[in-house]
Amino acid sequence: MILQSIKMALKSILANKMRAFLTMLGIIIGVMALVVLVSLATSATSSVSDRISQLGNDLFTVSIRDDGGKPLKMDELDALTAEDTVGSVAPYLQSSGNVKQGTSTVRVSITGTNNAYFSIMSSALAGGRLLLQPDLDNYAHVVVLSYEAAAELFANVPISDIPGQSITLDDLPYQVVGVLAENESVTSTGMESYSVYVPFTVTARMTGSSDITSFYVMATDASQITAAETALNFWLLDRFGDTDAYYVQNMETLSETLSSVQDTFALLLGGIAGISLLVGGIGIMNIMLVSVTERTREIGIRKAIGATQGSIMTQFLLEAMVLCLIGCAIGIIGSGIVLGIVNMIASSGTDASSTTTATTYTLSGTVIVVSVVFSTVVGMVFGLYPAQKAARMHPIEALRYE
Amino acid sequence: MIELIDISKTYHLGDSDVYALDEVNLSIDDGEFLGIVGPSGSGKSTLMNIMGVLDVADSGIYLLDGTSVESYSAAELARIRNRHIGFVFQNFNLIGRMSIEENVELPLIYRGMKAAERGPLVEAALEKVGLIDRRRHTPNNVSGGQQQRAAIARALVTEPSLILADEPTGNLDSHTGAEIVQLLHELNATGRTIVLITHDSTLAAQTGRTVHIRDGKVAAE
Repeated sequence: MILQSIKMALKSILANKMRAFLTMLGIIIGVMALVVLVSLATSATSSVSDRISQLGNDLFTVSIRDDGGKPLKMDELDALTAEDTVGSVAPYLQSSGNVKQGTSTVRVSITGTNNAYFSIMSSALAGGRLLLQPDLDNYAHVVVLSYEAAAELFANVPISDIPGQSITLDDLPYQVVGVLAENESVTSTGMESYSVYVPFTVTARMTGSSDITSFYVMATDASQITAAETALNFWLLDRFGDTDAYYVQNMETLSETLSSVQDTFALLLGGIAGISLLVGGIGIMNIMLVSVTERTREIGIRKAIGATQGSIMTQFLLEAMVLCLIGCAIGIIGSGIVLGIVNMIASSGTDASSTTTATTYTLSGTVIVVSVVFSTVVGMVFGLYPAQKAARMHPIEALRYE
Repeated sequence: MIELIDISKTYHLGDSDVYALDEVNLSIDDGEFLGIVGPSGSGKSTLMNIMGVLDVADSGIYLLDGTSVESYSAAELARIRNRHIGFVFQNFNLIGRMSIEENVELPLIYRGMKAAERGPLVEAALEKVGLIDRRRHTPNNVSGGQQQRAAIARALVTEPSLILADEPTGNLDSHTGAEIVQLLHELNATGRTIVLITHDSTLAAQTGRTVHIRDGKVAAE
């Protein structure tokens, strides 16, 4: 009986294709808005959270805001490193400068740091060696290049031959000691991918101050994060005597904040799209009411040959729901096409030589389920009144209707 | 066996009440071919609606095969229409979007019959009215006489005990009308009760028994 009713519903929808399409348009647009917006938002969220978690959640970033006239020095960090729960500590100082090699000049970001930095950032070597403690102690003019910087400066040199080469960084000669492997973390997007790393002491001398204003702290392992954070905060409070003097940021809290912000955003977008679906539902109700009036005589005939109120009700309700579900299906297919186009634009906008991977936007399964359920409910709710109107018609009055 | 005992029906038109039927008494035996004749507005259509349980009388008792229909719910009345009564209307009342075959099949669908069982019954009904080669046409693409034949096929496909025909020849030329009446006679010959409502006394003369109705009362037999 239900199968028959669905067949009947499909038949009467197909009997008036243009009207059916226009009726469905509201649902199609609503579903597309819902699916596309929420898929974009969730894809963006997961892509950003992925990148953040690549940095590691056992990582703390400490920024010194006010040293109270007692700037933090290198040897003090050694005391912090000695804490049981603290795995490694890396001071860093960032600036930018020009690298010259042969005839090419490249604008790079310069990070002055120590050996621990590379393990904290999980950077692997492609060739040569990392920065070592003696480099810092001796103010050695040595440099480690990011993969991208090396590729830009030494375009035709195999990676194994790059260590040992000389470059000029801000008019001073440096020797390249190592090249990092390709990295797709958040630090290697756009401009920043041309990164070079020099001993912290060297950048400190160039900027004229050996003060440490920011550093990374990593716990010994993931289970020690809380303990490490406590130890770190104790140490900092003991050192500066004021919690306002410094700021500790954990990547985990950062990514949580970020994803909660973006979840809210997705919910908001979904809500707006939901409203347009609701408006689509009103369109369905409108047309169903017209259809019921137009088919008054048909309803009378059906009643005369034995259709119960229930079966008339089912017929019109199913018709509304089938309309909504077809609209929903078209909307989902449309969303897939829109997301495909967005992906195409996003990937063609990315420079081919850059290794930054563009975010791929995929249809979110949850939102598809949500939109199907929502469309069914919309069809049911907005189909109910017209269906009831049809079912309650008096057979004789319906048969007399001209 | 159909018995109408003191059936009255009043319609409210504005402030005034119109007596469509005034204490009508009538009984129809199984297998009878009854003609109900009367001018328009005499209440004969109301009588047919009540006999076909499309409408319920205000007072009186309607016994259909021995059971009173007054106490029935809307769903039960729908069931009676579906199983025991077949309608043939003046304006055919076929659903235009559906093929003749689908129109004929519809009462069986409402009965809840499986597709495999419906097929042969629909075919037999179409065969009986001579429309088997027009089965896939929509009503608009066949003549009025053929539409009325389709309507008759739809009325008899459920094997009803009673076929109610309300001016079935009203929209047809006399030749085609005669064919339709002939078809009703054939159905009557197979044992079905036929009630033919008409204002045409020559047509009524061809029935087994004629009842005249005037101003909501049975005037003469």
